[in-house]
Amino acid sequence: MSASQALHELSIAEAGRRLRAGTLSSVTLTQHCLSRIAALDPLLHAFVLVTRERALADADRADRELKAGVDKGAMHGVPYALKDIYATAGIRTTCHSKLLIDNVPAEDAVVEAKFKAGGAVLLGKLATHEFALGGPSFDLPFPPARNPWNLEHFTGGSSSGSGAVVAAGLVRTAMGSDTGGSIRGPAFYCGTVGLKPTYGLVSRRGVFPLSYTLDHCGPLTWTVEDAALTMQVIAGYDALDPASADIPVPQFASGLGQDLAGLKLAYPRSFFARQEDVTAEVVASLDAAAQQIANLGAKVEEVELADFELFNACGRVILIAEAYAIHEKNLLTRPLDYARYTYQRMMVGATISAADLTQAFRLRRELAAIINTHILATYDAIITANGLTPAPRFDEFPADVPPKMTLQTMPFNVTGNPALAIPTGFAKNGLPLGMQIVGRAFDEPTVLRIGAAYEAASGSIKKRPALELPIAV
Amino acid sequence: MSTEEDAVLEREFDALMAKAGAKVPADRKAGIVAGYKDIKRMTALLRQPRTEAAEPSNIYSLTGFRRSRQP
Repeated sequence: MSASQALHELSIAEAGRRLRAGTLSSVTLTQHCLSRIAALDPLLHAFVLVTRERALADADRADRELKAGVDKGAMHGVPYALKDIYATAGIRTTCHSKLLIDNVPAEDAVVEAKFKAGGAVLLGKLATHEFALGGPSFDLPFPPARNPWNLEHFTGGSSSGSGAVVAAGLVRTAMGSDTGGSIRGPAFYCGTVGLKPTYGLVSRRGVFPLSYTLDHCGPLTWTVEDAALTMQVIAGYDALDPASADIPVPQFASGLGQDLAGLKLAYPRSFFARQEDVTAEVVASLDAAAQQIANLGAKVEEVELADFELFNACGRVILIAEAYAIHEKNLLTRPLDYARYTYQRMMVGATISAADLTQAFRLRRELAAIINTHILATYDAIITANGLTPAPRFDEFPADVPPKMTLQTMPFNVTGNPALAIPTGFAKNGLPLGMQIVGRAFDEPTVLRIGAAYEAASGSIKKRPALELPIAV
Repeated sequence: MSTEEDAVLEREFDALMAKAGAKVPADRKAGIVAGYKDIKRMTALLRQPRTEAAEPSNIYSLTGFRRSRQP
């Protein structure tokens, strides 16, 4: 990468090299990001709070530490942003909701504490669908984020701001959360990388819960390498998160740069191709991606999975039941303080019986066994669709009934396996398309290896959305 | 779905909301009823053939409490 290249196009690794060589300061990098936020966020509505003073203080501290030879790791001096469901001590954390509009946590989420300990630079808090579920909603204290590829289109959600800021080049890495596809959906619609790690690999403590047994924390990033480096900062055991896995943290970038020789991948084409809503260009894009992965040395074989609707029903019932349990008191006493879509989605949880929920958890064990002891006993990973259509327009959503999303992400919240969203190109209307790469539990290095090899070969992510800038930044 | 089936569904829904203690704002009801209809379809799918011994995924375990005990 040339010295004159725009600073927001520097990968996390390249920015780190320059920061350590003294050819770039964290303050300069941070000011560049803040200038782009000031210029573009009025179009995108992706930030609910820009922490300018905190960012510049973080950056100044990082510069002094690095100059003194103190090295806190890959993101030391590098900017990041957080979905506004991550608690930040002393900084407002709203969940994009009227109910928490004045909420200022006393403690950081574990992920935020890890970024701080790693010397990273917090740019601000990002738009989300209300409590990570509703949306897109126009009846909230903040407007919904807009898709940088076309401002009239949806970003996906619930990590809506995270997808928008990474795609628009405001920051290289932004934290999201994923309960049914809330990292991978915005990554797909906005054309970024997004990693839903294995359940239990990243602590959820201090992140406002949506569904205890389905919530995952992970990053949306511009490249696969950025995702690997972010994961190195945030992953790890947390004894106070009941779901946290007490296992060694892998070297997430260990497989990057390798070809795919010797890997065997499952391609469940009928899992998405027989869905009613899927578009021909989504199927064609997936077929081309599968062929490209085969050309890189992997053996790709078509397989059959259990019906998508089984995974989806299992996940939806659990998600809505758990979300209702979390919000029950406020739903009953403050219904009009929730956005229309959020309230309508959550109240369905009041109709789910104990037997329904138990049956969902019984099915979940069976589905997890199919993926983990059948498919992934034979194959190193699965490649499949992420969404069935490109991002819809905002004005396509009905006013009175929450829209149905055409994502294929819920199966891997149900099973807990790591799932990487990666762009595969563009639809005829200029909006991004993408796929998921799903791996064995705690085998993120292989998932990232496959993603990085495909990314390098396809080059599909190198294009940025053509947003109008009032000033050159 | 016929008008009669819709009416039955709505009566079920009203009973469930009453049991939950919810007073649903009238202008928000249609969206929840649509969601209820969809979740009924889904809960039917959950009832697959399985033995009585088939355990759920979230069985209770004491190891989590033991490991998270504060020093």
